[in-house]
Amino acid sequence: MAARSSGEPNDIARRLLDGEIAAGARAIRWLDDRDPRCATLLSAIYAHTGKAQIVGVTGPPGAGKSTLTDMLVSEWRGRGKRVAVIAVDPSSPFTGGAILGDRVRMARHSVDPGVFIRSLGTRGQAGGLSRSTHDAALVFDAMGYDIVVVETVGVGQDEIDVVNLAHTTIIVAVPGLGDEIQAVKAGIMEAGDIFVVNKADRDGYDATHRQMELILHLRASALPPDAPAVPLLRAVAAKGEGAAEIVDAIATHRVQLGEAGEFARQNSRRAREQVLALVRDGLLSRMIGMAADTVFEAVDTRQIDPHAAAARLLDTLAVRKVAA
Amino acid sequence: MGTSYQRPLRVLLAKLGMDTHTVGVTIIGHALREAGMEVIFTGLKQTPEMVCSAAIQEDVDVVGISTLSAGHTRSLPKLARLLREAGAEDKLLVAGGVIPEEDKPVLEAAGVDRIFTMGSDTRDIVAYLNAWWKEQQSEEAA
Amino acid sequence: MNRPSGPIVSEGEDISREAQRWERETRGPALEGRTERRERFETQALKWPIKPLYTPADLDAAGFDYAADVGYPGEYPYTRSTRPNGHRTDFWTMTQVTGFGKGEDWSKRARYMLDQGLSGLILEYDLATTNGYDSDDPIVEGEVGRAGMALDSLEDLENAFDLPFDKLKYLMSVCNAPQPVNLAMIIAALERKGIDPADFVLHIVNGILIEYTCVGRYIYPPEHGLRIATDCIEYIIRNHPNWAPISIISAQLQPAKANPVQEIAFSLAIACAHIDAVLERGLDIDTVAPYINHFVVNVDMDFFEGVCKLRAFRKCWARLMKERYGATRPEALRIRMMTSPTTIALTLQQPLNNIARLGIMATACALGGAGEAMTTPLYDEAHALPAENAIRVGAAIQHIVAHETGVAETIDPLAGSYYVETLTKQMEDAAFTELDKIFAMGGAVKAIDTGYFQRALGREQYERNKDLEEGRRKWVGVNHLAKADEKREIEIFRLDDAMEEEQVQKVRALRARRDQAAVDSALEKVRQAARDGANMVPPCLEAVKTYATHGEICNAMRDVFGVHSADSQLMGI
Repeated sequence: MAARSSGEPNDIARRLLDGEIAAGARAIRWLDDRDPRCATLLSAIYAHTGKAQIVGVTGPPGAGKSTLTDMLVSEWRGRGKRVAVIAVDPSSPFTGGAILGDRVRMARHSVDPGVFIRSLGTRGQAGGLSRSTHDAALVFDAMGYDIVVVETVGVGQDEIDVVNLAHTTIIVAVPGLGDEIQAVKAGIMEAGDIFVVNKADRDGYDATHRQMELILHLRASALPPDAPAVPLLRAVAAKGEGAAEIVDAIATHRVQLGEAGEFARQNSRRAREQVLALVRDGLLSRMIGMAADTVFEAVDTRQIDPHAAAARLLDTLAVRKVAA
Repeated sequence: MGTSYQRPLRVLLAKLGMDTHTVGVTIIGHALREAGMEVIFTGLKQTPEMVCSAAIQEDVDVVGISTLSAGHTRSLPKLARLLREAGAEDKLLVAGGVIPEEDKPVLEAAGVDRIFTMGSDTRDIVAYLNAWWKEQQSEEAA
Repeated sequence: MNRPSGPIVSEGEDISREAQRWERETRGPALEGRTERRERFETQALKWPIKPLYTPADLDAAGFDYAADVGYPGEYPYTRSTRPNGHRTDFWTMTQVTGFGKGEDWSKRARYMLDQGLSGLILEYDLATTNGYDSDDPIVEGEVGRAGMALDSLEDLENAFDLPFDKLKYLMSVCNAPQPVNLAMIIAALERKGIDPADFVLHIVNGILIEYTCVGRYIYPPEHGLRIATDCIEYIIRNHPNWAPISIISAQLQPAKANPVQEIAFSLAIACAHIDAVLERGLDIDTVAPYINHFVVNVDMDFFEGVCKLRAFRKCWARLMKERYGATRPEALRIRMMTSPTTIALTLQQPLNNIARLGIMATACALGGAGEAMTTPLYDEAHALPAENAIRVGAAIQHIVAHETGVAETIDPLAGSYYVETLTKQMEDAAFTELDKIFAMGGAVKAIDTGYFQRALGREQYERNKDLEEGRRKWVGVNHLAKADEKREIEIFRLDDAMEEEQVQKVRALRARRDQAAVDSALEKVRQAARDGANMVPPCLEAVKTYATHGEICNAMRDVFGVHSADSQLMGI
């Protein structure tokens, strides 16, 4: 018998709640593959979630996000924290395959039992994360990890789903990549909680730092004067410089969120959004049945327009519900 | 089609020991990606412990080792043993690179499922993995 | 012959019209009802289209000018040769790679080769040493003494240097990432043996930038790797001016599938990174360039890509030194090359075929202008045990090319070929376009940092492999005329556990009996010099003399510089 993705969901749930890595890994696999067993699994672990701080790390390619994450993991471990890292990379839209290479830069933690690194492909999802990222974070939360880092590429405005997912979003910039400041301006500067200029020993650091200071200043001017300042920090991740300050800032942010009730509010918002997204998915898959093909054909032949088509499909659903 | 969603095969690629020739493993990584698989690289200079830990965390289906050192006669059996001890013997363990014929029986007995000598056609490797994967999935359905 | 009367046209236009006529009236009809062998004729690595015919019109179209583009041997731009008399006075130096082993084994083999009349040796080290570890570090288990000599301390080198130095004229040391430590050890060992460093040439490879690009034996982040490489270059220029402080091994880019344009552009960009770094130390280009102009370039089986690459390399170096740096001395403008047939063209299958391949590639080297020296790999290169026959054949191949073919009797005999000059010029132009791109992004170190070099190579690796698998490239014995049931044995150098254990015990015994306080003090000085930006060679020299180990000194620098972990780039990710 193949033990390919074997396991009974309640058993896997029990084992992962105990902290067993193989069980946690199997659970994430089911969630990633949308295996039917994940429903039972989630209901078994959900009560144990809501504690971990989800930290997003995003920025343009070449910013050194993985090396920075690697450095932060060391710092957290030095402080006795257990850390999980979810590294998301794009899947090929043509073949569905992916090269997931972020854990290469965190190799020194691979045998530390207090660190769990998991690579995910976006699997067709836009926005920089996979559909399963949030649930994977829940698994780590339930397993008792204090910090869950979600690392993703953030070019331009599109890949900012991580901002909604994370409690604390770190934007990583790097000197000398001129256009990247432009990309950074486009929306993500509004949403980041902590800004880090990595490779700070490079030429152009001062200019980059000044530019970001200016942008954060403008942002601050739109907020009430007693709003906490957004940290702008420096790092040279290759040398381990800046780790303590960044981890301190993340911890401070956690406290701020707690005091303002923001932590719970964000968890609530996230859960609600997830429920709605699942309802949307569920609605769609229910509607894609025989009725849908007929309706689509009618649109193709211009008998009805798309809005009317949608109304018709929704009516079908209502009719089915009543019938049941 | 049984399931509405195709589960991509997850493959871990690693190099054990100090040898840093990456051409082979790079070519295979890209070929597997083109074939629709998720390829996780662990990096270079890995120990069997590091590879085993990564294989468990990533819950991969296949562990692929590239070796151009003679150390494979020690490191590959050690990796196979660690995977077994971690309850992961169901993961396919394949190796490629400079592996003499005379070492193959020893490695296979130690738990390496398939050896691809240097110069193996990537299409053969993809076909082999896909065939194995299909077999696993039909066993599961049964 | 009378010219037809009519409007005055250039000879090129005349020929161009004639070529079109030939195409219409002669070649065209001959193709009727037939198809050509290939859908698209193109060069092997660059995949540039190859026309059926090249004429003077092609030279015109390329803007070819004999004086500016080709010139004369020993004169700028050196396209025909850097040597005024080509190989009519002396042939290129004929060399082969030495073997390896532990300190004592290497010197036994070295003594044998010196006795046979060789005067140059190459020192290669194991993966523990080249990666900056001692033999007893658990991370290098299984690697000690395998790929080369295990060099843990000055003691190992003192043993290895039990040699007749009166016969040894040239020693090359291949140790890139820990170069200042290695250089210090060699200097100290020579001192201990009472050998005058002015009596022979030490050539350190010092090739850290190629390591970052495609080989992978690096330790520190690139800016620090470059800094300590520069320390070694500066130290040698100032203290041992007869030594050679670097060798840019373009022949390592090629197996990573760099095409000729990338080989030229990437390796010249790397040379410029070194030149710029040394210029910053207050030396001038005419002093510096002659120290950086050492290259190792190989050729692959595409005959003309090989020949034209060598010619283009000479021209590009000369132009670069003149146009970018304003160099004036011939020593600065002339590149020095060691050429070689590439090992990656050799097959495991039907190995005797490789003798033909080596003959052809060695001829291409000679026709391209073999340079200062040529190395022939062994025909059964895929087998790590060099059989006696293979060694003899390797040497014979060079002698056959030199004495039996006549290709070296005149200088650069392929010059003037319409195809060769067109292809050479195209390579030169493309190389400069690529170089401009690299300089615009900030130079070689920036290209390495951002992964530009590595990704370019990763793409080539994948594409070329596809060409082979999909049959667009034919490789005899592999996918053409292959024997279905051919059983080829790979023999590899077997691990000698006892040898590794011996070396481990040796280094531990050394640590136990030396003056630990002196070692600790010397290591702290290494760290301080690293922090201060001082030249690393003197404090390393002091440290090796206290018998601080190779790994300990490398670790002292790790403490200050940090470590580089860009394996993902190396994998083209």
